[in-house]
Amino acid sequence: MRRLAILPLAGFVLAACTATLNSDEEVLCSPIGERTVLILAAQAVPSATLMPCMSDFPAGWSFAGSDIRSGRARFWLESDRAGVRAIEVELTRTCDVSGLDEAPNAGGELDVRVYVEPLTFQPYAANRYFTFTGGCAIYRYRFTPTDEWPNLALEANDALTFLPRSTLVAHVEAERDQTLCGASAPPCVVGD
Amino acid sequence: MDTAHEPPAVAPERRVADPGPPGGRRRRRPSGEAPPLPYELGRSGKFWLFMVAYFMSLLLGVVFFPSLEDLFSRWDAQRTEWLARLRTPSLTNIALVVNGLAATWTIRVLRWGTIAVLIGFRRWRHLFVFLGAILVTEGVVVYLSLFLARERPFDIPILAPWQGYALPSRPMAGLAVTLVGIAYSLVVPGIARAWMKWAIGVILVVLVFVRVYLGVEHPTDAGFGAIFGVAVALTAFRWLTPNHVFPVTYRRGKAAHLDVGGRRGEAIVSAIREQLDLEVLQTKPIGLAGSGGSTPLRLRVAATDEEPERYMFAKLYAQSHVRADRWYKLGRTLAYGALEDETRFTSVRRFVEYEDYALRLLQDLGLPSPRAYGVVEITPEREYMIVMEFFDGAVEISEAEIDESVIDQGLQLIRKLWDEGLAHRDIKPANLMVRGSELKLIDVFFVQVRPSPWRQAVDLANMMVVLALRSDAETVYRRALNWFTEDEIAEGFAAARGVAIPTQLYSEMKRDGRDLLTQFRELAPARTPVAIQRWSIRRVLLTAVVAVAFLLSVLLVVNNWAVFA
Repeated sequence: MRRLAILPLAGFVLAACTATLNSDEEVLCSPIGERTVLILAAQAVPSATLMPCMSDFPAGWSFAGSDIRSGRARFWLESDRAGVRAIEVELTRTCDVSGLDEAPNAGGELDVRVYVEPLTFQPYAANRYFTFTGGCAIYRYRFTPTDEWPNLALEANDALTFLPRSTLVAHVEAERDQTLCGASAPPCVVGD
Repeated sequence: MDTAHEPPAVAPERRVADPGPPGGRRRRRPSGEAPPLPYELGRSGKFWLFMVAYFMSLLLGVVFFPSLEDLFSRWDAQRTEWLARLRTPSLTNIALVVNGLAATWTIRVLRWGTIAVLIGFRRWRHLFVFLGAILVTEGVVVYLSLFLARERPFDIPILAPWQGYALPSRPMAGLAVTLVGIAYSLVVPGIARAWMKWAIGVILVVLVFVRVYLGVEHPTDAGFGAIFGVAVALTAFRWLTPNHVFPVTYRRGKAAHLDVGGRRGEAIVSAIREQLDLEVLQTKPIGLAGSGGSTPLRLRVAATDEEPERYMFAKLYAQSHVRADRWYKLGRTLAYGALEDETRFTSVRRFVEYEDYALRLLQDLGLPSPRAYGVVEITPEREYMIVMEFFDGAVEISEAEIDESVIDQGLQLIRKLWDEGLAHRDIKPANLMVRGSELKLIDVFFVQVRPSPWRQAVDLANMMVVLALRSDAETVYRRALNWFTEDEIAEGFAAARGVAIPTQLYSEMKRDGRDLLTQFRELAPARTPVAIQRWSIRRVLLTAVVAVAFLLSVLLVVNNWAVFA
């Protein structure tokens, strides 16, 4: 019986741990939280001068997880109407945009060029490419069937934006007294 | 009713400790004195305990005290930077090659190779423990890294591939759990395993330096990962597949039991001297092949004033035997239900206490079983030894010539057990010895008081089959009618089916070739077979729990397939 008593405790600990994972603050552009994934993403693609992030979370949208490894950073957004992993955001050093149509940059970020692939509707699926110095961000929209897709896509587009890497460099310098090696950073202590 | 008692007319005699005969060696261990074989953590045990304590305090400190986190981060960063300053192109090339040991593909090949070998040798328990240790390690490491969310090292360029947060290091944990798993599931214990453990240690230490040098992880990230992986594998294999119960061997038979040489051997000799006043001249493991539940020994004991030099039999029990007994009983309960008392023992002490009780009970009743000399404490609550009479010159009944006198003794033995309300529950050739013309009954651990009628009937049938193996069914049946009714014999053979027949007896029957069970059933009156399967709420619930646990395990493997595939 004493062993069984451990089960609720283990459940509580697991729930507490799980609750701390995947919080929206991890991909917020500002403020840069304690648990941001943006710094790790900046380490994954150190050449990228911009980092994709969320300016805020529209109602019904939330952060769904991330997969960050050297050379590539991905995170997902989920929506109570557009479904789980409704949007995947991927950051890499380069991407192939040959043959794609360039679109106007509605976000207005400097030096960012936007390319789009042909869309499909019902369910809504689209790929948008953003190329900039040292990096490329791809937004992949994969909504579950919903009539609200135009509004949902608009909400997401408005919320998804970019953070200059220099902001992260300054943040690491101020908070950790260390250098986030890569673009927009002073030379690292040890060269490669 | 008046319950008052008159005070005793004579004051009770005051007990005085018996100082024993001059030169007597039997002595009580005084409070505070170490037992014969004190339980001590070895050097490796102390090391792992220290490392676990270090990392736990570090984790708690970092989580609850931000200033400590800064201090710790600075220290870690300085060490990382210091190693990175040693970078040269050639050293970096070497480091990148060595780092391949922690690559996903290296770990996958090692894991699949181990799984294939374990399946090939049908070492299922080791296989499940290996898979379980990997899943636990990977699961905990992934969640812990997400919880701690520690970035890769700053200040230096990272020269090797990485994935996810840094603390704890997933590749280091994955490699550590895999290598230690290989050592404990594939490598025969002894020098080979000892060398492999050292090699694993060297590999992991070198890899920690390499990964820090390449800037992939801080020293703490890599170190914690390695230590966590080793700790999970060590705990899992030592706990669930102790070598003396589930030996890793590439020969036939059960080759390994508790090591009775070295310090344990010395402890056994001194413990028997102090606790039983017997001088052991020689300790020899015997009958290992037929014994999975204990480590059986033959002791050569020096002559005393009363008795000449002689042999004694002893069984050494450890905690692992208690755990093995629990699994065995759980398996039986799931397979057959509550056939009989399947309640588990809670400690080694209970184990030996029960066997000692059973030996003394049979002696008191005049049954031809070994005389009990007592229980010897080797390590309190961990290891005990029970010492009993050794039937010197006796041979197993399957190797003896038997006459009607021996047949009668066997049948009378069962009659006596029945009359006294007992069942032996393990009647088989290995437990029936013949010395001269006397039949002896050994291994009384399974003796049960007031057993079910089914169990008693099974004892009779098994005894008759054992006796018939050395004679014939007609003779045994005819002799049995002197002590049992036809209906009782019929009941015995209606009950003796499947699980009721010990494995050794079943093998002997197959080797003999005669269908003795059918012959006995034809001789006895017809009787409907006694059902072996018993259903109860406990069995249903236990089966459901085990089924759910199994399904969860399968789901866990499927969901984490990427760990292996």
